[in-house]
Amino acid sequence: MSVVHHPDDETLAAFSAGALDLGQRIAVATHLTACAHCRDWVRAMERVGGALLAEAAPAALASDALDRTLARLDEPTPAVAARARTAKDLPSGLPRFVESYRFGGWRWVAPRVSLRPIVLPEASATRVFLLKAPAGVGLLRHDHTGPEMTCVLTGAFRHEGGRYGPGDFDFGDDTVNHEPRVEEGEDCVCLVAMQGDLRWSGWLGRLAQPFLRL
Amino acid sequence: MIQNAAPRVLRAMYVSTLNLGLPPPPGVFRAALTALRRTSARRFTSNSTPNLTTVPDNRTASARDDRWVALIHAIGARQDRQAFAELFGHFAPRIKSYLQRTGASEAQAEDVAQETMLSVWRKAALFDAASAGVATWIFTIARNSRIDAFRRERRGGAIRVGDAEAEFEIDPTPGAEARLAAGQADARVREALAELSEDQLRVVRMSFFDEIAHSDIARTLQIPLGTVKSRLRLAMKRLRGILDQDL
Ligand SMILES: [Zn+2]
Repeated sequence: MSVVHHPDDETLAAFSAGALDLGQRIAVATHLTACAHCRDWVRAMERVGGALLAEAAPAALASDALDRTLARLDEPTPAVAARARTAKDLPSGLPRFVESYRFGGWRWVAPRVSLRPIVLPEASATRVFLLKAPAGVGLLRHDHTGPEMTCVLTGAFRHEGGRYGPGDFDFGDDTVNHEPRVEEGEDCVCLVAMQGDLRWSGWLGRLAQPFLRL
Repeated sequence: MIQNAAPRVLRAMYVSTLNLGLPPPPGVFRAALTALRRTSARRFTSNSTPNLTTVPDNRTASARDDRWVALIHAIGARQDRQAFAELFGHFAPRIKSYLQRTGASEAQAEDVAQETMLSVWRKAALFDAASAGVATWIFTIARNSRIDAFRRERRGGAIRVGDAEAEFEIDPTPGAEARLAAGQADARVREALAELSEDQLRVVRMSFFDEIAHSDIARTLQIPLGTVKSRLRLAMKRLRGILDQDL
């Protein structure tokens, strides 16, 4: 099964430039884990970064910059701590670095919909969580106050934009109000990176609202 | 500026091989000479409008790329400090200006530029010329160092070394990108950039280098926000069109 829905080129360029915040970087990295096509594009955008860097206008360095750097060349290389996978029962398809993060427990947020927060190692404007629901269930209808990136890990959902299976990437902002519904088959688990607050539609959504303060 | 590049490179290479304990990189002089011929031929045929883009002529650039690869190998193989100094001379001031454009203070930019070059020294033996050009490789190290430094500052030094690097290591399995050698791929990217209009190149550069919202780009360039977005989208589409065939 191949990936159909990709992040747009500007998002991939922002990823390559290091301009996305950690939460959004995780969502794009999750897609990249499944998509060789976008990995190629990220590689190409890094080459753009290299070409622009090579030709950038130079800034004046401190007069002792080279000497200070030369003096540090013999310092021992700091060891990079290996990071172990800490959480259990993780779905497949997560980028390796995310597997070493701390995951909260699954909690119920609506009938048959549950959510599992991912604890980021730094403050981020973006909240990241896994969202899970079985076949036939609506994946929470909501409005956005900020952009939201979703990448499917297992199963599939469908909305007006098409069918989203493993690796597919969906971008939502305040201009869309989709009603994703899980397709027949295994449970659908998605990674969601969300900025701003969610305005849940309907009384059930409002009931779930307090649970989403991650 | 393109028309002077080839003689300058020749002169710089001549001087640096005199000063350096490096063997003269094979083929580089020939390449630069070819570049000289090419650029002087092209000088009269290319458009006469002053070109603000600094994307260099490909032959010139690839001769320079070869030189940089030789420098990195000299560092990796035998900790050649003079090779390091030469690389530092080109890249450190440019990394600093890149960092300042992304919003770093002068002091931060200076620190991270030095930190980046220190990583270049330490990782030189790991450099794989088959997978990325030197400038691209240094760009990714600078990008990662910038992210780590920003975190270190916000968290008071609690960040682990190399966190950002891990976040960009998606999958070691090479995809279709392995079809082209890194040098060729870099050349294609340069060609693609050179094909962009000046306006398109400007928004690409800003969105790449400047950590500012598109709305700020609009204000700086005094064009409507929609124009920034469509210009960037168009530029990306053009890059995509040129690069997709062979990258
Ligand atoms: Zn993709």
